[in-house]
Amino acid sequence: MSNQSEMMIDAGVSGAQSTLPVSRMTGLALLALLAVAAIGGPGLIGGDPAKQSLLHTLEGPSAAHPLGTDNLGRDMAARLLSGAQLSLSLAFLSVITAGLPGTLLGIAAAWFGGWADRLLGAFADAVLALPGLLLVLMLAAISPGSWWALYAGISLTLWVEYFRYTRQRARIVLAEPSVEASKLLGLGPWLLIRRHLIPEIGPGLLTIAAFGAATAVTSVAALGFVSVGIRPPTAEWGVMMTELLPYWREAPFLILQPVACLVLTVLALHLSVGGPRRP
Amino acid sequence: MTHSIEVDMLSVFAGPTRLMGPVSFSVAPGGTLVIMGETGAGKSLIAQAILGTLPGALRAEGHITINGSRVDTLPVAERAAMWGHELATLPQEPWRALDPLMRAFRQVTESYRFVAGHPPVQAREDTAEAFQALGLSGAEDRLPGALSGGMAQRVAFAAATAGKAPILIADEPTKGLDAARHAKVVDLLAKVPATGGTLLAITHEVAVTRRLGGHVVVLRDGQLVEQGPAKTVLSAPADSYTRALLDADPQCWPHSNPHSAGDVILTAQDLAIARDGKHLIDGFNLSLKQGERVALTGPSGIGKTTLLDALAGLLPPASGHVTRAQGLSRHAVQKLYQDPPAAFPTRIPLEKSLRDVARLHKTDWGFVLRTLEHLGVRPSLLSRRPDEVSGGELQRISIARALTVRPSVLLADEPTSRLDPITQRDTLRLLEKVAAEENIAVVLVTHDRHIADKWADRILKLAK
Amino acid sequence: MNAFARMALATLATRGVQAIIVAVIVGIVSFAMMQALPGDAAYRIAAGRYGYDMMDAASADAVRAELGLDQPTLVQLWAWLKTLAQFDLGTSAVYGTSVADEIASQLGYSLLLAAGAVVASLLIALPLGIASGLRPGGLLDSMSLAVSIFVRSIPAFALGIVLVLVFAVQLKLFPVAGFQGFSNLVLPSLTLGLGLAAVSNRVIRDAVVDAMSADWRLFARTKGLSARLTLTRHVLRNAALPVVTYIGVQLAYLIEGVVIVESVFAWPGIGHALVHAIFGRDIAMVQGTALVLGLTYVALNLCVDLACRGIDPRGRTA
Repeated sequence: MSNQSEMMIDAGVSGAQSTLPVSRMTGLALLALLAVAAIGGPGLIGGDPAKQSLLHTLEGPSAAHPLGTDNLGRDMAARLLSGAQLSLSLAFLSVITAGLPGTLLGIAAAWFGGWADRLLGAFADAVLALPGLLLVLMLAAISPGSWWALYAGISLTLWVEYFRYTRQRARIVLAEPSVEASKLLGLGPWLLIRRHLIPEIGPGLLTIAAFGAATAVTSVAALGFVSVGIRPPTAEWGVMMTELLPYWREAPFLILQPVACLVLTVLALHLSVGGPRRP
Repeated sequence: MTHSIEVDMLSVFAGPTRLMGPVSFSVAPGGTLVIMGETGAGKSLIAQAILGTLPGALRAEGHITINGSRVDTLPVAERAAMWGHELATLPQEPWRALDPLMRAFRQVTESYRFVAGHPPVQAREDTAEAFQALGLSGAEDRLPGALSGGMAQRVAFAAATAGKAPILIADEPTKGLDAARHAKVVDLLAKVPATGGTLLAITHEVAVTRRLGGHVVVLRDGQLVEQGPAKTVLSAPADSYTRALLDADPQCWPHSNPHSAGDVILTAQDLAIARDGKHLIDGFNLSLKQGERVALTGPSGIGKTTLLDALAGLLPPASGHVTRAQGLSRHAVQKLYQDPPAAFPTRIPLEKSLRDVARLHKTDWGFVLRTLEHLGVRPSLLSRRPDEVSGGELQRISIARALTVRPSVLLADEPTSRLDPITQRDTLRLLEKVAAEENIAVVLVTHDRHIADKWADRILKLAK
Repeated sequence: MNAFARMALATLATRGVQAIIVAVIVGIVSFAMMQALPGDAAYRIAAGRYGYDMMDAASADAVRAELGLDQPTLVQLWAWLKTLAQFDLGTSAVYGTSVADEIASQLGYSLLLAAGAVVASLLIALPLGIASGLRPGGLLDSMSLAVSIFVRSIPAFALGIVLVLVFAVQLKLFPVAGFQGFSNLVLPSLTLGLGLAAVSNRVIRDAVVDAMSADWRLFARTKGLSARLTLTRHVLRNAALPVVTYIGVQLAYLIEGVVIVESVFAWPGIGHALVHAIFGRDIAMVQGTALVLGLTYVALNLCVDLACRGIDPRGRTA
């Protein structure tokens, strides 16, 4: 009965969590929408994000420009889509570049231990010695305005999270009696990883990936906004915010567009893994 | 006469569902009441109802009278005022019941200081005295995490009884303790009625009931099975369930049939074992014959589990040899674990785990299914994950999993110590049967000397 | 030496190593920045040291000889790091003043902003987290979860923009930017504090839920302690531990936030100076400000470590 009463209490406590699937669905749907927008890019609406028209600046939405035009008369919708393409592709790539080696090295470190583990651990600690954005900022500064520098910097800082999480979880899992039992029963390394490790760390890795992607998108925009990341005239959300900030009085709807895009993207990523906290 | 505790038609509900009851009983001052039953019988709900600590989703009905005054109708705050002063509680898992960040001495002192109301200096003297009396000298400055289970239970006892409450409620006070420490805690409880206190103990162990005596209430699935004086219930139970419970006490088991041993299949020669740099065992010799059952006993921490690991080839010995008979592969030695859910991949359906093993060893799936049936496991359980199956069922599935490899030796590390008594007996009977049929040698680690006596062909005692 | 002092020393040593790593990384990256710049490095370094006005071909040659700029890159890097190890931060290429002096005047503003942010976050998160934790699953808990997820999704600088537009430009309640008085502190602190509180209120909530449902809490009550004594003697300390530990995790967010939010609000702090220096290719300033930001991060981490050790006696006897 104690089990039953525990279950009841759980049900009572998790009232807030029972809505979670709905929020996760929302997040995933939003993500899908953003992915379509990013893959399609400006081609979706047939506009050119760079084409200026000084006769039509700071205009409201119209048939020709569904989201209006910016201070140089460029089409907002095309620029936002182009920005989405840039941010999301960079986020996606850096998640892959950081996630694969991070996870594999984490498993290797936990599996083999010894000097390889210590060496990798020391390297991870070194990357973590500075706050991530500070490191990205400095790396980006070596080669200003370069997409590659941003990509490398972000991947380098994100890598550590996968590594540390995988190493720590894998250590615990590999020390469990169930792994010992499976080894005795003759399961080889590949089956041990598939049956024990992946189911145990997979969900956590997904969460890290989503948060990592959100961090990447945020970093790109933050750096663009303070003029040390992607440079104008490239259509990037952070850069657009800087450009449109002075025109707040005339066209408040314009500056809010890139802000909304950014918030929506991060929100979608957070919602898709259900919550404001990392594992 | 005023009873210490009087319970009349007590039931506990979760919404419309009755989880426990109705039960009625009473205990006089200086008396003992033991509530006996297996996991899930609803024993703890009675204690929680009497204390007034039922979780919010649960609701009690019926009359509860403590020292002559009815309490079930009182508001929570007034019931809480009785805690420590009229009702003392010994927790189920003492480690978890002590504040992990406060040293043992202070946790007891604060009871003397704030519950008994003694001035600070006297409270410290009282605490020192209690530590002395309970054999806790040296543990004063330890944090709960550094206490052994037995010590933690005695610290909890000192903290709970500082207010000199006349009634002590002990909920499974021996859970997770090994044999030697077990006895000490039960002795401590047995002293309570002797000094005029009232004891309400909850246990699943017949041995504890036998030692404490008094009045016994037997519960099963929330239903009252029978009650009466301990002497009557223990010697002439009226109900078949009570009889099964009593029979499940290892002390009452019949001796297992001795097995005529065959050839030697595993030998350990002059084995010395260390783990994490700590020297554990020296000069261990064993020659294990086909089909024989060996019990391995010894105090906690002596290295029984480590020895099994060495026999299984999981841990290289510090010196000496472990040798398998010719023609035996390294998979011929298999292990059974103490905590069955921890022995399976957590997030995988059981069927997948079993099929992996069958495929690797080219065992026909039909054989696995027949083994499961033989062990009394419903095939439908296989679609579940390990944590969705009861401990007893899972241990039987893990026996079936080991048999899939067609082993010659099974090393069983306290495989039933976390199971209820009846399940424990059934599981060990099955293990005995399977070992005899398949001619498998079993090494059983146990801390219960009755199990060792009754079940094994021979006993190996490890000592310092 | 008592157990706590031993523990504190061990913590100090770990963080000391981290500080050295920070210095080396900052040094290497600044050096790489210098190498990546077009033109003659000797002229730039000489300018960095003595200011543009005081610099000529002779001093550039002196620098070239001293730093061995004709040497292989690794040797140059070693010389660069040696200079850094002597706490010689050089001269700002843009202002012509000593980097150390610049930073000395900026650091105070940044620390003020960081403190303001932490205070703001605690003012929001503590009451909200505790109230949610005492009634898990309740209306307040569900609402604070939803709001937290949303606020957490707004990057600090975007939140800053929105707050400026609403409270400064539209409602004119607070000044837009710069630092003339403490009314300037409100918006940037709130920007950062909201971001911090969005997560920390959930951490506090979880800590309270855990502590309130812990077996030891119930036992403290049933052994006879009153609800108030149980709270002050047991619950607070246990619940504080994960919260303080989490402040350590949030330090990275805080430092990153300071850098970006200072730029949004033109706050005269070290983060703003760093961004400015990167933009202006003022490498001595980049190195100096990044170094001090990194070391501040290490120092704050050290404080959190010591606070955790103070709360948690476990492991002290080891």
